[in-house]
Amino acid sequence: MALLLTVNGEDRTSGHGAMTPLVDVLRDEFHLKGAKPVCREGFCGACTVLLDDHPVMACLLPAGLAVGARIRTVESLAPDGALSPLQQVMEEHDVVQCGMCFPGMLMSLSGFLAVTPRPTRDEVKAALSGNVCRCTGYERIIDAVLSL
Amino acid sequence: MAEVTLNFPRRDARDKLRGRTRYTIDRDVSGVLHAALLRAPVPSARILRIDTAAARAMPGVRAVVTAEHAPGRHGIGIADHPLFAAGRVRYHGEPMAAVAADTLAQAQAAAAAIVVELEPLPAVITMAEALGPSASLVHPDWRDYEVLVEGGAHGGNVAWEATVLRGDPEAAFARADVTVVESLFRVGRQNHLSFEPRAAIAAFEDGRCHIETSTQAPWTVRNVTAHLLDVLPSAVRVTVPAVGGGFGLKFDCALEPYAALLARHAEAPVRLVNSRQEEMLTCLSRENAEIRIRSAVTKDGEIAGREAVVLMDCGAYGGEQIFLTTMTAHTLGGNYKLGSVRLASRAVYTNTAPNGAFRACNGTYNTFALERHTDEICEAIGMDPLEFRRRNVLGDGNLGATGQIFEGDVLGPMLDRMAGLRAARPSKQAQAGDRLYGRATTVGTWFVFVGPSAATVNLNADGSATLVTSGVEIGSGSMMQGLPQIVAHTLGLKPQDVVVRAADTDAGGYDVGVGGGRTTVSLGAASMAAASEVRRKLLDVASGMLQTPPEGLTLANGRVEIAGRPGTGASIAEVAVQAQKLVGPIAGSGSFTGPGVAAMPGCAAGHFIDALDIPVFAVHECEVAVDPDTGHVEVLSYAVVQDVGRALNPRAIYGQIQGGVTQGLGYALHEEISIGADGSIRQSGFETYRVPLAQDVVPVEISLFEGAPSIGPLGTKGAGEVPILNVAAAIACAVANATGRRVQELPLTPPRVLELLLGRGLPLDFPHIATAWDDNLLRPLAAASWQGRRMAGPDAPGP
Ligand code: FES
Ligand code: FES
Repeated sequence: MALLLTVNGEDRTSGHGAMTPLVDVLRDEFHLKGAKPVCREGFCGACTVLLDDHPVMACLLPAGLAVGARIRTVESLAPDGALSPLQQVMEEHDVVQCGMCFPGMLMSLSGFLAVTPRPTRDEVKAALSGNVCRCTGYERIIDAVLSL
Repeated sequence: MAEVTLNFPRRDARDKLRGRTRYTIDRDVSGVLHAALLRAPVPSARILRIDTAAARAMPGVRAVVTAEHAPGRHGIGIADHPLFAAGRVRYHGEPMAAVAADTLAQAQAAAAAIVVELEPLPAVITMAEALGPSASLVHPDWRDYEVLVEGGAHGGNVAWEATVLRGDPEAAFARADVTVVESLFRVGRQNHLSFEPRAAIAAFEDGRCHIETSTQAPWTVRNVTAHLLDVLPSAVRVTVPAVGGGFGLKFDCALEPYAALLARHAEAPVRLVNSRQEEMLTCLSRENAEIRIRSAVTKDGEIAGREAVVLMDCGAYGGEQIFLTTMTAHTLGGNYKLGSVRLASRAVYTNTAPNGAFRACNGTYNTFALERHTDEICEAIGMDPLEFRRRNVLGDGNLGATGQIFEGDVLGPMLDRMAGLRAARPSKQAQAGDRLYGRATTVGTWFVFVGPSAATVNLNADGSATLVTSGVEIGSGSMMQGLPQIVAHTLGLKPQDVVVRAADTDAGGYDVGVGGGRTTVSLGAASMAAASEVRRKLLDVASGMLQTPPEGLTLANGRVEIAGRPGTGASIAEVAVQAQKLVGPIAGSGSFTGPGVAAMPGCAAGHFIDALDIPVFAVHECEVAVDPDTGHVEVLSYAVVQDVGRALNPRAIYGQIQGGVTQGLGYALHEEISIGADGSIRQSGFETYRVPLAQDVVPVEISLFEGAPSIGPLGTKGAGEVPILNVAAAIACAVANATGRRVQELPLTPPRVLELLLGRGLPLDFPHIATAWDDNLLRPLAAASWQGRRMAGPDAPGP
């Protein structure tokens, strides 16, 4: 049975089973390869997407449970090529390294900033506790967020 | 010449931030088959039978291959490593067969259906077992292996032994006026945990194999894959998309030959990607090591003699550890002036997963050992550790362990710079509250791994330039920032007008690989040479156009001008168009390799590098608070003074330092790999292998030390590798300072720190390291007059 999903404002149909992890549907079927399956165990955050504005790990979420919710991926942040303010400060602060964690990191931060527009340093750190980055050592990413 | 554009923004950031970058794991290839490896479930066994008939008959299966399809061996120094376990399993997780099928599930099911009959053999899991009197041999046939580099001593389970002897340490230790201090250290492995796993896609096109892969060393992949497939190296083409982190893990050939072999047998493209579990269990980790170090020191703190034995676990195959035995001389034998020294560095085979290269490699733990040992010396002779370092650090004209003469006073002024930082900011001691407070300042010596690089620059008629190399962007930004800056600087262009071709062994010339801080230096020097040739040709043509000799012309802002008469010249695009008409398109090529700095003849035996072409120094300082109830260590502050030669992109270097220090904090405090009695690595993912999270980290205070001598282009040195070098040293010395205990092991997890505080740990004891230094050697030193001679092997060694 086909799954009806709303991805980045668009209605899409998936031929996958309801138990397929959402990250695989997004990547393999919809070619939205921003979300990265880095651990597939819910620990690294690289696959984070927003489900009705809440950050979720798409590697653990069966696609069937996303039916009826608004799914947003990193690809939605700069729809016409204009970077979102969050993406812009990341570029300006030259914080991107290998870049693999950023799609997840940006979605966690987008969800967080929507409800906490003026965060403290500690709050940003707490918001990132589910997103591992192996390259950057975090602090300069946090500086970038606080410059918003 | 034109000014260098500093802090040039990296051009790959935008797509990475938009989720549009296609790493190897993201590539779609039509008709691609999916592959799985069958891995050994035991650490040591004889293979009695492998039957693939049932697997071949399963749905979707297109190819099944085993050792019989690729019988060759590769390696660094010694060709000891077969593609598949052949006759014998040497580590838990070793590939025994590979399957390609229409889907990954089918490939995995077929791999599981391969019938393997194994007869268990005794295994050596630890180095103590491997060097024990009745140890079973990991490679009983080692005498039959091809030796690729002469000079190392081999024997028993010792894959490679390198030694250094300078001066008369025997006499130094016998002096009446010295205090002898001895220290023992042990460290575990560290997993890179790069976000992108090792991954490769192979396909045959026009009779040649094309491999797209996540690697740092495309030419090593080309050469090793060709060797194992028994084809000419020129029959393999390697291209490299954006790489999702490497840190040294991808400095060696890995999955590529399996994918290529399967593609050849299936006659279809094949994709092979390690799962996170496979990455954990078979990671080419930073090796575990055991160290004994002794020094003879006068009451004034002069180090009259030093000796050490370093055991490095290479796992079941020699790999990088064979090369890295070299780096003991330059790290443990670095930092300080030594009256005399002898060092033995041994790579030891065990029945465990092979280890590899990881950012600053054995420099991290050798620096940990050296700096902790230094603090133990200070305690023994009653000297302030900072004072001891000020007196003893290497300066201009001093000798290194192998007798190389160091140029310039670098570490001394860097210590002064750190003292300035310390004076300028208040101590964080108050934040420790009731906890134990400690601080430490450590020094470190590392190097830029130079070696061969090639570059071509094409000047285009639109005034842009294309830079073609085999360099890979692994995240550090060197390919995206440093290289275009260097070419632009030489040609008077803007860096954004320099297009950098992604690595392709069909387009760029030979390169050792991206690692060891060599990108900006080696690839940079080759790129600068190529651009200089373009510059010459460009000025020649412009000279005719402007009726002015080339010496009277300047290049800047995309224009050629007559010196002193701005606005009278022509745009570089106009000159390029004119050149196409007159002499044909302008191109230049350049190459570079290490110039080779001299060591003292006869000092070093079995070394791949006798002396450092470009030494790099670092000074780190930190404050910690240790909770006496839980053993938890909190880092209160961290400061780095790093020798960068010249900083082209200070912001990017700050990013490398913050990131490198963070990886070092993980290594020092909580990244722990343990190996079970069955020889398997116990940590299988992010849950059990604890890397630093945002809340574990502090902002690193950074001061870039510029101006130290460097042969790098524009005076640069590699800046990405070194930041991790003395983190473990600084943390361990600070924890020792806080607790008053002898810190001898890493990582300093809360249970280990509690053990220290409660005095419950057993003292370290290494029965497999002989007390008399000479008794450790396979090859008595008198016979060790060895002339370093490197022969071309398929693998290029390096960090
Ligand atoms: S891949 Fe989903 S949390 Fe790591
Ligand atoms: S930038 Fe590489 S994992 Fe974050």
